[in-house]
Amino acid sequence: MRIVLDRPRCEGHGLCEEAAPQLMHLDDEGELVLDREEVDGADAALANAAARVCPVAALRVA
Amino acid sequence: MTTRAPARVVVVGNGIAGLTAADTLREAGFDGELTVVGDEPHPAYSRPALSKALLLDGDDLTSHELPPAGHGATELLGVRATGLDVDRRRVTLDDGTQLPYDRLVLATGSRARRLSGLPGELTLRGLDDALSLRGRLAAAPSVVVVGGGPLGMEIASGCRAAGCEVTLVSQGVPLVLQLGPYLAGVFAGAAREHGLTVLETAAARIEGHGANARVVLDEGTVLEADVVLTAAGDIPNTEWLAGSGLTAKGAVPVDSRGLVRPDVAAVGDLAAFPTAHGVRRVPLWSSAIEQAKVAARALLRGDEAPPLDFQPYFWTEQFGLSLKAVGHLPAEGEPEYVDGAPGGGPALMRWPHQDGTADAVALNYRIAVPRLRRMTRAAA
Repeated sequence: MRIVLDRPRCEGHGLCEEAAPQLMHLDDEGELVLDREEVDGADAALANAAARVCPVAALRVA
Repeated sequence: MTTRAPARVVVVGNGIAGLTAADTLREAGFDGELTVVGDEPHPAYSRPALSKALLLDGDDLTSHELPPAGHGATELLGVRATGLDVDRRRVTLDDGTQLPYDRLVLATGSRARRLSGLPGELTLRGLDDALSLRGRLAAAPSVVVVGGGPLGMEIASGCRAAGCEVTLVSQGVPLVLQLGPYLAGVFAGAAREHGLTVLETAAARIEGHGANARVVLDEGTVLEADVVLTAAGDIPNTEWLAGSGLTAKGAVPVDSRGLVRPDVAAVGDLAAFPTAHGVRRVPLWSSAIEQAKVAARALLRGDEAPPLDFQPYFWTEQFGLSLKAVGHLPAEGEPEYVDGAPGGGPALMRWPHQDGTADAVALNYRIAVPRLRRMTRAAA
């Protein structure tokens, strides 16, 4: 599975970082950084949880 | 009481609270029969987007869409729950179906509080409301919005952006009850610059016939417009729970784990839960998610599951301003500026409390929630 970020849509809430700090974080400018893009198993579940909490649907796991 | 694993869980409500509860049940190892009931025909969507990006985003009608559900539940959509028998553990649906359960999640949310029964009074609560309003805005109609809270102001902002003449009717200064006087002042300035007309009044009512609605203010002023829309708060959808003994004061009170009783949880906009400021509803996106995560685990593990440690996160976007806040607003008095300065530029602010904690607010300032949360804590 791969985490896909729709960057123009991201508003930098960072709820995804709260859900999956192992996989992504917002940098000092508030831009989302995907620390890992390819995920499987437990990480894929985490990535889905991160995508789910995004209120602007900027993340997909495909 | 037996601790046998439940075989059947029913989630009534398919908003973000119900969806998160269903997802979390699976994450926590529940592999039995899961049924989700939703009264809208749509898959779960992001409600905050409806009054923000969805009103603004050109031809893009996807800003409210959430990733497809992965919980593998039986989804009964376009169906409404009409009754609950907690002794026989059955939910009744409006098509006559009886759904038996071992554990139940109440997540039927709330609806717009209307000021009249007139079809000419629009509200914005669900996806269909938003798409319908969006369609109307294409012709740049005149608009009166009744309600000076975040939703009314976001809608007013969206209507101004669509080129409409917009009058907003508010009991007192818009946003002052939600944000406090300092931030309300900042938003009032931005709204004025964007051409919003604000009328403050003690009370407003909706009169008219059928599709023809007008707004009558306390002092007798009559406001007519092509579109009359009210944003006057929400009412929990608890009618179907009448007779269940689970409701109080129009909401469903729960414990610190979101449980009403060991086999029933309530999450999202209809649940009143213990907060630092008493037992109350907190009808916000992140509140619904956090409540649902805690309650789903508590349904499976009882007191072994961790209780809710809740700190509200709120955001709004309107009139060129983007605000993110952690803490229990409204904030009283003047803030400390952690970064930036007064005047409308990007700023990071803090309202300290006597115990050393603070409310933290970012205005036109990109910052992740975890960092904003850290700013609310007492210095070590």
